Amino acid sequence: MKLEQSSYMFDMVLFELQDIVGKDYVSTKSSDKEVYSVDYFWIPEMWHDRQKGRDLTRPSADFIVHPANATEVSKILKIANNYKIPVTTWGGGSGSQGGALPVFGGIILDTKRMDQIFCIDQNSMTVKVGTGIIMQHLEWELEKQGLSTMHDPASANCATVGGFIAHRGTGVLSTKYGKLEDMIVNMEIVLPNGEIIKSLPVPKTACGPDLNQLFIGSEGTLGIVTKVTLTINKIPEVRRFRAFIFKDLTTGLRVGQRLMTEKLQPSVIRLYSEDETKEVIHKVLGIDKKGAYMVYGFDGRKEMVDLQLKYAREIADEEGGEDLGEDLGQQWWKNRYKFFFPPYMFSLPQCFGTLDTVSTYSNIENIFNAMKNVIGTKYPQARFIGHFSHWFNWGCMLYARFIIETPPEDPHELLFVHNSIWNDALRAAIEAGGVLNEHHGIGLKLSRLVPELYGNSFDILKNLKKSLDPNGIMNPGKLGFGV
Amino acid sequence: MTSISKNNLDTIKACRYCPMCRQSCPSEFISYKESDTPRGRAMLLQSVYIAGKEYDKSTVEAIYNCFVCGSCKSWCSGFEIGAYNIPELIKFARKDIVRKGQTLEVVESIKSSLLESDNPYQIVKSASFSQIIEEKKADVLYFMGSEINFRNPEIARAAIKIFNHLNISYTLLKNEPESGKILDLLGYPDEAIIKAGQIYSRIINSGCKKVVVSDPLAYDAFKNDYPGWGFKFDSKMKILHMSEYLAELVKSGSLELAKTTEKITLADSEFLGRFNAVFEAPREIIKSSAGDNFVEMRWNREKLLSTGEAAFTFNDRLFTQGDKLGEKIRIQAHDIDCTIIITLSATAKNNIGDHADIKAVDIAEFVAELI
Repeated sequence: MKLEQSSYMFDMVLFELQDIVGKDYVSTKSSDKEVYSVDYFWIPEMWHDRQKGRDLTRPSADFIVHPANATEVSKILKIANNYKIPVTTWGGGSGSQGGALPVFGGIILDTKRMDQIFCIDQNSMTVKVGTGIIMQHLEWELEKQGLSTMHDPASANCATVGGFIAHRGTGVLSTKYGKLEDMIVNMEIVLPNGEIIKSLPVPKTACGPDLNQLFIGSEGTLGIVTKVTLTINKIPEVRRFRAFIFKDLTTGLRVGQRLMTEKLQPSVIRLYSEDETKEVIHKVLGIDKKGAYMVYGFDGRKEMVDLQLKYAREIADEEGGEDLGEDLGQQWWKNRYKFFFPPYMFSLPQCFGTLDTVSTYSNIENIFNAMKNVIGTKYPQARFIGHFSHWFNWGCMLYARFIIETPPEDPHELLFVHNSIWNDALRAAIEAGGVLNEHHGIGLKLSRLVPELYGNSFDILKNLKKSLDPNGIMNPGKLGFGV
Repeated sequence: MTSISKNNLDTIKACRYCPMCRQSCPSEFISYKESDTPRGRAMLLQSVYIAGKEYDKSTVEAIYNCFVCGSCKSWCSGFEIGAYNIPELIKFARKDIVRKGQTLEVVESIKSSLLESDNPYQIVKSASFSQIIEEKKADVLYFMGSEINFRNPEIARAAIKIFNHLNISYTLLKNEPESGKILDLLGYPDEAIIKAGQIYSRIINSGCKKVVVSDPLAYDAFKNDYPGWGFKFDSKMKILHMSEYLAELVKSGSLELAKTTEKITLADSEFLGRFNAVFEAPREIIKSSAGDNFVEMRWNREKLLSTGEAAFTFNDRLFTQGDKLGEKIRIQAHDIDCTIIITLSATAKNNIGDHADIKAVDIAEFVAELI
């Protein structure tokens, strides 16, 4: 239902929402509508940035609602179904894909009031939390007891646990501890019809398909996760790093592959392309070297880490790496978030995007080259850089970026340039064996490409969506599901 | 459109789409709303000062919901080179809002109360502590600040007990005026300057050699605002926070405190610590009595948790949720098994409060108990 603020139906719905969560937790203020109309996606930022003297509007919510628990979420979803009002879930609003944008208006359901820590079980090494908790707040609480989830992304400062579940987030320590999805034990989920369900108590069962997996990465299109039990770890005795320069990316990738497949269990491997070494590493860490910068790290018991570092060093030496020492590795760790603060981060008026993808060791360099080639050929105004930051036994993640320093002034023209780069780069990645994304999610930004990625298997997801959300109220326009 | 400084523009451009300090913002703890974050406020101000939109009421509310505590600065990894300064931006915006006649009713009523009664709470002047005192010539002028003057006279009594114990020649200002700081923070620099002028004359005329201040807002005003407003104190005239004054006495041996066995911690003050780098003086005092029983909270010094010293309004109403800020600090103290939290402002004391297991004690009260 389209809601005009002047209509009595607007007030009818507002009254019902206030009845559920209380007056202080429903906003229809223009300031809130404005702020919730921009997440960390470049397009709404650009639209907001260039509004001066132009007739540019951004889709905005009619109501911003802050429920305290699953029962309130359930009631809100029932109202939304009654009136066929779109519901877009908002955690920290720090997603880069536009997943939290209320593109068809309706309700923004901000989860941040659901921020309780219910239980820290040091026997099973799990923590049960409300999904609205800011990741860093959870980490600070765990740290008091010498514990951590080891989910350590740059956005821990600002993103919620629920946001990471929604788009399959990952952190810098994922190479050893896994992505957030690997840390999930069980979840409480509110289905689009308002029913509150729980997944099985533990994930590794032989009791049929894993319900958790239906909702992890579903970006609020299939339901809203309200509670989650996550695995936790003891903070390791030591965490040490070492940095190297390799002559080229190919060598660096081989070193990373060996570290993983020879089972050294690094917690971190970051390999920067020659261009990113020159640009970003130089800017943030002050290292002025030619080649590909790599930092790797190990953590755990001291003697184990000593041994891991010894073997890793042997591999790096065999591959002709120039040792930059532990200090430069440690310096990277200390500054690992700095890349995301102004003035270090990319920002408007630059046009930029993170074209992250993941693939096998056999394909990943080809993907990097394919993306670099298509951008270099078709968009000479753009720079292309990349690093490889989440490593698995079978392959790794490419965190590629394009940057245009002086993009076109006209926002409409600029949007088309931006989207064309994304289409071309990701189609090149898919053709070379990659996928649309590794950990930032799909959102609005890549929604149009999802059917292409899945091919005829996308029907299964569409049918699932139709079955769970027949009125199409849950985050419409995202994840390829349309409206 | 109002002209805006390059520094403020840089802050808008850096912060408008950056959420990286969100976890530290105390106003977001209160409302959970995006508009109550530094990013949200910078976005709203981008629309006004870069895109040329008019202020609307809800934007004005968001600007007044900021506690101006500077936490965002302390947590910004780019601050060291970018110098992005949300508190300065907010102060500029509030002044502009007032200039444009678009301020909130509640802000207007605080202003009227400050001008008429020297406190933000509409409490009549005759109810102030300083109404009963006799002003005299003295070496030390003790300046309480409006919170103590109208709400926490026990802190003033503790200060007086210390002065008397040490035979210090002191005075207070009868009907002590508000320093002007709150007026300035709310966007009324002209009125603040008038207040400041009155206080400045009275301080100078008192003939005192030292001004000892309990209120971090007043301290910040005397140190940082008054010179710019044309009221520069002579270099021989010392402006000291009570904690600095007492630390000097402890260091010189003039003040000796009895030993305490209670486990004690300190709630740093945003206006004293973050904006004036006064971190060590209160610690020296407490340690002189508590020794190893003084324990730091997790978030201390620059990374302190906001005590709400400049939290005046929220959503167009007087701010009444200080307990939520205090609770965050109590939880930290609880984590380190402390029973006493020493505070450096009356607002901090009130927000942290007295509870069954933990109580907040002003630094002057702490000392007065142990002499």
